[in-house]
Amino acid sequence: MLPGVAAKTKAVLTGRRGAPLMQLYWDLFRLVRKGAVYSTTTTWIFRLAPVAGLVTPLLALGLLPLDGRHALFGFTGDFVGFAALLALGRFTLVLAALDTGSSFEGMGASRDATFASLVEPALFLSFVVLALASGQLSLEGMLGGTQALPWGAAAPALAMAAASLFFVLLTEASRMPVDDPATHLELTMIHEVTVLDHSGPDLALLLYGAALRMALFAALLVGVLASRGRLPGPAALGLLVAGLLTVAVAVGVVESSMARFRLSRVPQFLVAASVLASLGAILQLLS
Amino acid sequence: MNLCFWGLATIVAAAGCAAVLRSRPVLADRAYGLLVAVGCVVAAAPAVSVLAGGSAADIQIPIPAPSGPWVFGLDRLSAAFLLVVLGPGLASALYGLRALGGDGSRRGVATARALFAVELAALALVVLARAVVPFLVAWEAMAVLAYFLVTFDNERAEVRRAGWVYLVATHVGTLALIALFASWAGAGGGLTFDALASRAGSLPARGALVLCLALFGFGLKAGLVPLHFWLPDAHASAPTHVSALMSGVVIKMGIYGLIRVVSLLGAPPAWWGWLVLVSGVLSGVLGVLWALAQHDLKRLLAYHSVENIGIILIGLGTGALGAAYGVPLVAVLGFAGAVLHTMNHALFKSLLFLGAGATVHATGTRIMDRLGGLGRRMPFTWVSFLIGSVAIVGLPPLNGFVSEWVIYLGLLRGGTAGGSIRLVLLGVVGLAIIGGLALACFAKVCGVVFLGVPRSDAALHGHEVAGGMLGPMFGLAGACAFIGLAPGLAVGPALVVGASIARIPFPASGSEVFAGIVRLGLWSLVLVVLLALGAVAWAAVRRRRSLTRAETWGCGYALQNERMQYTASSFAAPLLAAYGRLAGVHETHAHGGRAFHSQARELVLDGAILPAWSAVRGVLARLRPLQHGRLWVYLLYVIAILLLLLLYLAQGASP
Repeated sequence: MLPGVAAKTKAVLTGRRGAPLMQLYWDLFRLVRKGAVYSTTTTWIFRLAPVAGLVTPLLALGLLPLDGRHALFGFTGDFVGFAALLALGRFTLVLAALDTGSSFEGMGASRDATFASLVEPALFLSFVVLALASGQLSLEGMLGGTQALPWGAAAPALAMAAASLFFVLLTEASRMPVDDPATHLELTMIHEVTVLDHSGPDLALLLYGAALRMALFAALLVGVLASRGRLPGPAALGLLVAGLLTVAVAVGVVESSMARFRLSRVPQFLVAASVLASLGAILQLLS
Repeated sequence: MNLCFWGLATIVAAAGCAAVLRSRPVLADRAYGLLVAVGCVVAAAPAVSVLAGGSAADIQIPIPAPSGPWVFGLDRLSAAFLLVVLGPGLASALYGLRALGGDGSRRGVATARALFAVELAALALVVLARAVVPFLVAWEAMAVLAYFLVTFDNERAEVRRAGWVYLVATHVGTLALIALFASWAGAGGGLTFDALASRAGSLPARGALVLCLALFGFGLKAGLVPLHFWLPDAHASAPTHVSALMSGVVIKMGIYGLIRVVSLLGAPPAWWGWLVLVSGVLSGVLGVLWALAQHDLKRLLAYHSVENIGIILIGLGTGALGAAYGVPLVAVLGFAGAVLHTMNHALFKSLLFLGAGATVHATGTRIMDRLGGLGRRMPFTWVSFLIGSVAIVGLPPLNGFVSEWVIYLGLLRGGTAGGSIRLVLLGVVGLAIIGGLALACFAKVCGVVFLGVPRSDAALHGHEVAGGMLGPMFGLAGACAFIGLAPGLAVGPALVVGASIARIPFPASGSEVFAGIVRLGLWSLVLVVLLALGAVAWAAVRRRRSLTRAETWGCGYALQNERMQYTASSFAAPLLAAYGRLAGVHETHAHGGRAFHSQARELVLDGAILPAWSAVRGVLARLRPLQHGRLWVYLLYVIAILLLLLLYLAQGASP
C-alpha cells in the first residue's frame, strides 16, 4: 500500500486527483490472473527471481521487532543477515535480468548492481550507529525491548543514521531522486527496466516484493525514530502503521519536490548517505 | 599424528606411481587417484579428531644436524589448516586427472601429476612443522614445486613471464622469512618453535622486527596489496586445477605463517594489529575493484583471492587488536573468523576455479565477452559455479555468510567495548564495501558467462564436461552448503582454534555467539525451505495460466542479436567509473571514435614495479663499460684492488 500512498501524495501535491490508494492491489490481482510470456532465452533463474524477490523481504521483516518488543526470529548479529537477505534478492533479480540477454535489462541490471554496492556501506554504518547507541548486536535488541534508544544523549548520531537510512530507503525502493518509478523511458529507469521481461503472475510477485522492500525499510526507519517498547501492543502496532504512512508521505513529498539525478550524480548521493552515517558513528565513538 | 605421516607417505607413493607407470597411463591414473584419495582421508582423520576435542601430539625425528631436532606436531591450528590443504587439494587432484591429459595429450602430464602430489605433501608438512629448519625446507619445496606446476604450459611466453615473476617474488619472501627466524633465534638457543616461543619475551621492541618481517614475507605469499603483484598472472596462467590449489590453498600458507607467528609471540603490540587491519581493508577493497575490471575469467578469480585475503586479514587484525587491548571475546572472534574464512575461501575459490576451468575446457577461451548462454549447455557446471558465487559474495544460506558474520560480530564487539579498540569499526566499512562490490562482480561473471545468448561460436558449441570433472565440483559445493546450513559444526571448532591462537580460555561472554550460531543455522534452513516451497507453489500457479514463449522483448526493435547484449565491461563500467583512476581501467579510442578498447592494467606490477626496475636497469647500464671482456682490463682491476688493499693495510699498521 505504501507506493500507493506515495503516489497519492505526489498527485495531491501536483494538483491531480491520482490513482486510488489500493491501486497496487488491483494491479496485482489483475496480473496474477493473466498468462505469462517467457523469452526463449531464459532459464530457471528467471523464474526463481520473483519468488526470491518475495521471500527475502518477508524473511527480513521477521528480523524486525514489529510490535516494538520482539522479532519473529532474531539472533545475535542478525543485521548482517538483514543486509545479506536483501542482497540475495537483488543478486537473483540481476541474474534474471541478464538471463534475458536483452541490452535494456543488462543496463538495468548493471545500474541496479552499481547502486546496491554503493548503498551497502551506508546501511552497515547506520547499523553500527544503532549498535553503538544501544550496545546490542541484534535488530531486536537495537530497536525493540523496553530499553529505548538513548535519544537524549545520542540524538545527533541517531538523527544522522536515520537520515542515512532514509536515503537507503529511497535507493532500495527505487524512488526519486535515484530512480523514477513512473517513467518507462529505458535510458532513465533502473528497476522498471530490470523487470522488463517479467509478465503476468511473475511481475505481480516482483511488484509486491518491491513494495515489501519499501515497507521493510520504512519499518526499520520507524523503529529507529520511535521506540515503542513501553507502549501496549495495539498502540505499538498503531504507531507503526502511522509511522509507515508518514514515511510514505515523506517519500511522496521528496518525489514531487525534486527531479531525478543524472545517473553519474547518483553515486555522489549514495556516498553522501555513507558519509552521513559515518559522521554519526564518529560522533557516537567520541561521546 | 603417526596416521598423518602414513597418509602423506601414501600421497607421495601416488606421485611415485604416476612417475613409474608412465607407459601405462590408464592404470597409472587409477592408482594415482585411489592413492591420493586414501592418503588425504587418512591424513585428515587425526586433524578432525583434534578439532573435535582430541589431544594434540608432537613427534621428533632425531636428525644429526646442527639445526637441532626436526619436530612435527598437530595442534588445533595445524589441524584446521591441514583440512584446508587436504580437502580442496584432493578435489583439485582428482579434477586434474580428467582435465589434464584427458584429451589425449600426454606430454609432461605424468610429471605434472607426480609434482602435484608431492606439492600436497609439502603443503601438509608446512603446517605440521614445529621447528625452523623443517618449516623452511617444506616452505621452499612448496614454492619451487608450485613454480613447476604453474609453468606447465611453458611454450607460451606469458606463462614463462608469470612463472618468472612468481619465482622472484616467492624467493624474496623466503629471504624475509630466513631473516625473520634468524633475528628471532639469535646466536644461541634451539630452533624449535617451542624454543622460539620461550624467547618471545626477550625480543627487542616487543618483537617489532619479527612482526614486520612476518607481515612482509608471509604477506608476499598471501598476496596482500601491494605485495599481490605476482598473483594474478601466476594464477591465471597455470592449468586450472593448479590455479585452484594455488588460490585455494598455497596462498593460505601465508595466513598460516602469520597466525603461527602471532600464536608463538603472544599478544602483538596494538600498532601491528592496526597495520594488519588497514592492509586487510586495502587488499579487500582494491582486490575486488580490480577484479571487477577484468575481462579474463581466471584473472578475475585471482583478484578475488586478493580480496578474500583482505577479509581474512580484517579478521586477523581484529583478533590481534583484541589480544593487544585485552578484550578476549574480540580476540577469539577475530581469530576464529579469520580461520573459518580461510577454510571457506579454500572451498569456494577452488570450486570457482574448477568451474571456470570447465568452461575454458568446453569453449577454449577465458575471455568473458566471448562467452554467454553456457547455463543451458553446461547445467551442472552452472549450478556448481552459482553455489560458489553465492558463497563468495557472502550471501545466506552458504558458508561465506557464516564466516563474514563471525568477523562482523568481532568488529562490532570491539566497537562496543571501551577505549581505542573501538576504531576497529573501520573494518565494518571495509567489509560492507567489499560485499557490495563482490555482489556486482559475481552478478557480472554469472550473467555474462552462463546466461543470455552465446556471444561466439565457441560458446555456442560449449558442452557439459565429463563426470570426473563434475564430481570434485559437487563435493566442494556440498561442503559449502554443509557449512552454511550447519554452521555450528564449523563455528564451534573455529572458536576453539581462535581461543588457542590467543592462548586464552573461551570467554564466558561468548555464549551469545553459540546461541546466535544455532539460530543462524535454523534461519538459513528456513530460508532454503521458504525458497523451495515458494518455487514449487509458484510453479503450480503458473501451470494454471496460459504460458507463451517468445523472443526477448526488444522494445520494438525487431532485429536483435547477441552482440547487442550487455558485456562484462559494459556491466562493470558505471561502478568502475565511480571509483575513477583507482580501478586501473585503461581506455583507448581509435579510428576517430569508431573503435573503443578498454583494458585493465595491473597497477602495482605494470604501474610501479616494472618502471622502477627498468629505471634501476638504466642506471646499472651506465656501469656496462666496466665489463670490457678484454683480459688486460680485468688484470688492471685486480692490480688496482690489490694496491688499494695494500694501502689500507699500510694505513692500519702505521699508527
